[in-house]
Amino acid sequence: MADPHQLFDDTSSAQNRGYGAQRAPGSLGYPAASTLPQAAFLADPMSNMAMAYGSSLAAQGKELVDKNIDRFIPVTKLKYYFAVDTLYVGKKLGLLFFPYLHQDWEVQYQQDTPVAPRFDVNAPDLYIPAMAFITYVLVAGLALGTQDRFSPDLLGLQASSALAWLTLEVLAILLSLYLVTVNTDLTTIDLVAFLGYKYVGMIGGILMGLLFGKIGYYVVLGWCCVSIFVFMIRTLRLKILAEAAAEGVPVRGARNQLRMYLTMAVAATQPLLMYWLTFHLVR
Amino acid sequence: MMQSQQPYTGQIFQPTQAYTPVTSQPLYGNSFEDEPPLLEELGINFDHIWQKTLTVLHPLKVADGSIMNETDLAGPMVFCLAFGATLLLAGKIQFGYVYGISAIGCLGMFCLLNLMSMTGVSFGCVASVLGYCLLPMILLSSFAVIFSLQGMIGIILTAGIIGWCSFSASKIFISALAMEGQQLLVAYPCALLYGVFALISVF
Repeated sequence: MADPHQLFDDTSSAQNRGYGAQRAPGSLGYPAASTLPQAAFLADPMSNMAMAYGSSLAAQGKELVDKNIDRFIPVTKLKYYFAVDTLYVGKKLGLLFFPYLHQDWEVQYQQDTPVAPRFDVNAPDLYIPAMAFITYVLVAGLALGTQDRFSPDLLGLQASSALAWLTLEVLAILLSLYLVTVNTDLTTIDLVAFLGYKYVGMIGGILMGLLFGKIGYYVVLGWCCVSIFVFMIRTLRLKILAEAAAEGVPVRGARNQLRMYLTMAVAATQPLLMYWLTFHLVR
Repeated sequence: MMQSQQPYTGQIFQPTQAYTPVTSQPLYGNSFEDEPPLLEELGINFDHIWQKTLTVLHPLKVADGSIMNETDLAGPMVFCLAFGATLLLAGKIQFGYVYGISAIGCLGMFCLLNLMSMTGVSFGCVASVLGYCLLPMILLSSFAVIFSLQGMIGIILTAGIIGWCSFSASKIFISALAMEGQQLLVAYPCALLYGVFALISVF
């Protein structure tokens, strides 16, 4: 019986024994040299194997990414924040610029889960902050370009500095929420969404600054700063403060006061950051 | 161990007839006629390419959702190269920027569309649609060869072409992914992407 672990054919009992040039059936022999020159390249078993290996490697890689992507980026949770439509975006942008007439800021719930942003204008979404961030980077590039200070790596610099400030803000607010021991349902992604809304005002300010100079910039930025302040206070009040206080009845108590100060602090940092990230772009 | 060896039936030092001899047949013999046509093998279907080009060029024509079923990257490659070539004619050697921006833009659109739509979308489909809708941008950059685009007319023309490109791209995406009420939302990031291309053409 042939030894199953043999690496080669045992031909010691073969009739026409030769030494050396034993032709292995097919695979690693010398087929390339002896077949037709115009026989398809892919008939060469060596490259056949290479292609099969390569494509299986690619398929495996894709499977690996698909299985593990959920561990790093919560895709299904993110999908909720992108379930928006044009009407919602329009209304939300209107709210961001003019939040004074809106009465009901409560997010509607449907059996314990918040309703998708499509159906409720109060729900946070990530489409507007993401688009606003990218637009801010491009508009900053445009502003620098009109002042002849543009170079492509400056775009990267603007983008990363804005991203760094956003991360810092999120971490600072999460830390203070932890220290104040607030039980909220404010998730990190919600917080990123709320903090991303200020980029809309920043874009407005820069564009006005480009069109009408410093006066236009200050007017529009001032307006947007006040609107964002009011917007943040009214939105975060419902999330951070206790139920009773959220209905408008001022509840005395050290805990609630602390929470009120926290909300005011968060809302106050928004205009500051809006000014800090844009003033160097408008001359 | 050695009893059931098969006797060696090959022929050492004698060439075996592993192929039909070259001299007895014309050089491009049967194997050439048996192969499928080259274009079919490469997957380039001119009729589909023409259909998709027409869909892009008529912004008001309703798009058919099924045309994006096969991802075809040959057309977009040609359009990208044509765009780079027209930029070259205007004296701007910026192929690197074109490729870099298209790669980042396609990646961004891919992530966004996957998050926004009910069904997912493959990267090849996104790249294919964005590449096809680059066609009007080629018109813009060929204008830039002759006239400078930095006046008022240039700005209006640029804005019009960006609008045309993003409108067609969003129309195809909406029909292929069955997203209702989101056309403007898809058109905006496309407009940002094509705006960057227009920046390259203009400045």
